[in-house]
Amino acid sequence: MLLSVSVGEYLKSLFFDRLPFFPDNIRISLFIIMFCLIATIEIYLYVFLKKAKNKRDNYLNANWKEKISNMLSNIIIYGDEDDGLENVVNHFLPRFKKLPLKRKRVRNILIEEIRIYHSNFTGFTADVLKELFIKLELHKYTLEKLKSNYWEIQIEGIREIAQFWLYEYDQLVFALTDHEHEIVRMEAQTAHVRLNRDNPFKFLDHMRGRILPWHQLILFEIITKAKYVKIPSFVKWLGSRNDSVVIFCLKLIGYYQQLDALAEIVKLLKHPQEEIRKMSVWVIGKMEAEFVEEELLKIYPKETQKVKLEILSALGKISSGNYLSFLKDCLLTPDFEIKMGATKAILGHGRKGKLMLQELQSVVSAKNSQIIAHVLDARI
Amino acid sequence: MEAGFYFFEQIFNSAIFYFALVVMASYIFLCFFSALEMKAYMRKNSFIDYREILVSPFAPSVSILAPAYNEEATIVDNVKSIMSLHYSNFEIIIINDGSKDHSLEKLIHAYQLEKVDFCVNEQLNHQPIRGIYKSRNSSYAKLIVIDKENGGKSDALNAGINVSSKDLLLCIDVDCIVEQDALLKLVKPYLEEKKRVIATGGVVRIANSCEVEDGRLVKVHMPKNIISRFQVLEYIRAFLMGRMAWSRLNGLLIISGAMGLFDKEIVIKCGGYSHETVGEDMELVVRMRRYMHDHNLKYQVVYIPDPLCWTESPVDFKILGRQRNRWTRGTIETLWTHRDLFFNPKYSILGMLSYPYWLFFEWLAPILEGIGIITFILLASFGKINWEFSLILFTMVYTFSILLSTIAVLFEERSYHQYTSGKDVLKLLLLAFIEPVVYHPLTIYWSIKGNIDKFTGKKNWGTMTRAGFTSNQKNKLEPSSAQNLKTKQEQSA
Repeated sequence: MLLSVSVGEYLKSLFFDRLPFFPDNIRISLFIIMFCLIATIEIYLYVFLKKAKNKRDNYLNANWKEKISNMLSNIIIYGDEDDGLENVVNHFLPRFKKLPLKRKRVRNILIEEIRIYHSNFTGFTADVLKELFIKLELHKYTLEKLKSNYWEIQIEGIREIAQFWLYEYDQLVFALTDHEHEIVRMEAQTAHVRLNRDNPFKFLDHMRGRILPWHQLILFEIITKAKYVKIPSFVKWLGSRNDSVVIFCLKLIGYYQQLDALAEIVKLLKHPQEEIRKMSVWVIGKMEAEFVEEELLKIYPKETQKVKLEILSALGKISSGNYLSFLKDCLLTPDFEIKMGATKAILGHGRKGKLMLQELQSVVSAKNSQIIAHVLDARI
Repeated sequence: MEAGFYFFEQIFNSAIFYFALVVMASYIFLCFFSALEMKAYMRKNSFIDYREILVSPFAPSVSILAPAYNEEATIVDNVKSIMSLHYSNFEIIIINDGSKDHSLEKLIHAYQLEKVDFCVNEQLNHQPIRGIYKSRNSSYAKLIVIDKENGGKSDALNAGINVSSKDLLLCIDVDCIVEQDALLKLVKPYLEEKKRVIATGGVVRIANSCEVEDGRLVKVHMPKNIISRFQVLEYIRAFLMGRMAWSRLNGLLIISGAMGLFDKEIVIKCGGYSHETVGEDMELVVRMRRYMHDHNLKYQVVYIPDPLCWTESPVDFKILGRQRNRWTRGTIETLWTHRDLFFNPKYSILGMLSYPYWLFFEWLAPILEGIGIITFILLASFGKINWEFSLILFTMVYTFSILLSTIAVLFEERSYHQYTSGKDVLKLLLLAFIEPVVYHPLTIYWSIKGNIDKFTGKKNWGTMTRAGFTSNQKNKLEPSSAQNLKTKQEQSA
């Protein structure tokens, strides 16, 4: 007791009475000590209060989630298609309306649960869930989310519209395809592809900025996995000034094997961007466009290493046999990767290529012979 | 004499004091930038579905390089764990760096390996390769095993790079536990950054006392060993506060050797891993950054706050001391090799901020602290100490250390929240009070020892003893289970 009183007295004299008489460094030190102590205590309080709050939130969320999940399960179990969509929804609706939907926590859990259930079901059950979502007027909150100042909330809204196929709000989503935030843009574009049946790729006409590879990857997956997307001829965007649009369209042309685009793709072999030339060669190889082989050989000598390797790969895929001697000559270059690429291209010619490699193995240099052995080994 | 002493005391006091203030201010700035970076990352990635990368044909291809030396106790399970990573387009290259045990035989037997005529593109120098093995079982088609003469970690990684056929290189320690979605998360920055990403790293955490099942971490626990606990706090501080902040500033100089993803093209153009340093991970990143500057290429080195890799930490002071000694020597070697970066405006952030920071605060600060302690003892013995002022100064440093560690725990709680039990969090917070007086002086000692060893010509890696962990049954990673202790000793070639 005495000690604490004396420590208190000492600190009081230190911080109040003697402070002005200390040298600068000691005064600064005392200030830092005070700051650190207060900040540390605040962080302690924050950590433990937050922990307690999270515990309470988790408990409440789990309770509501269980209740709502049970209610939705009942729809799935007892909702009979023979009763008709309207009857089933009207039967279950009153119970859902009893939920305190004005409370944000309950509303958000309900929206999330319906969304998850909807994404896991198709057909009648999915239709019932969508109808329930609309009859509970939850879509109004979705539309509010689109107007939010926070981009992550806007994304939630976009995702809900796409998830429930709310076609009537496609124009609102389309407006966001030119949003200044790139992630909102991306989400809106992917949603637009799902929602718009007439012109799902309209956003490519006015693409703001680069479509990042991540964005391309997501869009590619959405487009190629969606069932009802109207696939246009992507050739019309090959002339775009936006290089990333051209690359993205080349990927889709390759995937959908749009042979009518080949003439335009050949023109792209002279494009100043290496990445576009490389992707064009990749598409040519994927489409096994034999008539472009000569063009590929023409550009080969002046091309960069990456494009050269892609050309060799394309020749292997086309495997017409017309340029085997060229591929054989590539073994004479000092570049290891070119040699390896050419050898693989020869092997791409099937039995004929394999025989050629076996013959070559005994006449070429030791290093080239090793490369051939490597390529011929199926385990590698 | 008296006047001279007074003058020295004033200068010394002021210089040390203001240096300490600058160090403390820099930590506050780092906290601030780290908070910004983490918040941005968490916001951006909170609704990402990484499965999109998993199924995409356009996901970048990755070679996983894992050097192994005398790892027979765990190598088969470790490889199994790596093979189960969630990614589609990857190959695994295990480099047996001249192990003296039966690591290779165990791999051959477990994965039905046989020697193949693999033609290696000799772009980087390394010790001779004795053989390259592939499995005759197509289930293990992704696995390549290189058997080579011992040459150290850098040498092994260079051999792996030569054999690699993919675009990105994930360099890992074979005995680490890698999270299954680690590759998906590490690859993402390569797809979304506007500048070319040349390297990414993730947070490395301490696996001691955690529950491991089939090579996977199933439950996180606070280590029972106090030395490991100190390292938990230290790692959280270093990764969540330090590296995230440097990532924000695009000034990262190091990607942990335990796990880092690199752009292969740039690694090769830079000449691969250096044989001349024991801090090869830091040196490579600095060299890659230099290369990008020298060629006027825009680039980024990215750190992500996800805990992606779990490593076993040293559990006694002797081994920990060796590890820290090596880290110090690695830092000195890297800083010396790239000394022309020092305040060189040509290298922007790298030259004007990152390099000076590492020089003054990572290399020089422990030395100054050591000198400070010795001077204090000398002055005390001459009766020249104002004990009250000294106590105030000490309290300032002490309370600041506690604040920093507390902020680190806060970051952990607000982000990945790995230690779910309130008791564990409390343990971490209490540790913050002990660490500055128990653990920190030791790190100073090891750092000074590292400096002495460096300048007296010591070059080896030092011996690392680790417990390892068995698989196929649930077990806790406890170093006390000494039955499978193994000794790793790597020497620079």
